[in-house]
Amino acid sequence: MEFEEYCCGLRVGQKVPDFELDTFEPTKGDFGKFSLKKAKKAGKWTILFFYPADFTFV
Amino acid sequence: MGAEVVTVSTDTQFVHLAWQRDEKLLEKVKYPMGADPTGNVSSMFGVYDEETGLALRGTFIISPDGTIMNSEVNYYNMGRNIDELMRKFKANLHLSKHADEGCPAQWNDKGDKTLKPSADLVGKVYEALQ
Repeated sequence: MEFEEYCCGLRVGQKVPDFELDTFEPTKGDFGKFSLKKAKKAGKWTILFFYPADFTFV
Repeated sequence: MGAEVVTVSTDTQFVHLAWQRDEKLLEKVKYPMGADPTGNVSSMFGVYDEETGLALRGTFIISPDGTIMNSEVNYYNMGRNIDELMRKFKANLHLSKHADEGCPAQWNDKGDKTLKPSADLVGKVYEALQ
């Protein structure tokens, strides 16, 4: 499955294509990576929490 | 909490660092802060606002097999209720182990009554919840 196939956003019940995000990890004070593939492999649930912008109220 | 929680905005990880370091309110934040400067991941989840280049306040619970179990999107000026997110997450955990049950509207935590859809339950939900 490719990004391009999702014109309008994923819906409940659909499988999320694997993706990665560069991260800042506050507990380590360092940069890292989030990988959906790795989370799935570890048998973990994932909660994504989107917000508009840093330096605003969340 | 038993889940990989990632906060995501279209800021870079460098801005995340600066914000987390400077803002006292974020002192205790422990979740990885994801950077989506291209907006690709935000677009995939339908929360990318092309006009502003920002992500709307979307929350998604994804099961270990990669399926979206919940989605909630708020407009810019409306915050979220973490208790409600936790309620949904706990309900998902419960239902993933008890696929034949349903968590009704007032379900809050383990031990609260669930429903098992059956012929007997039709028209008798009120009684079942007593």
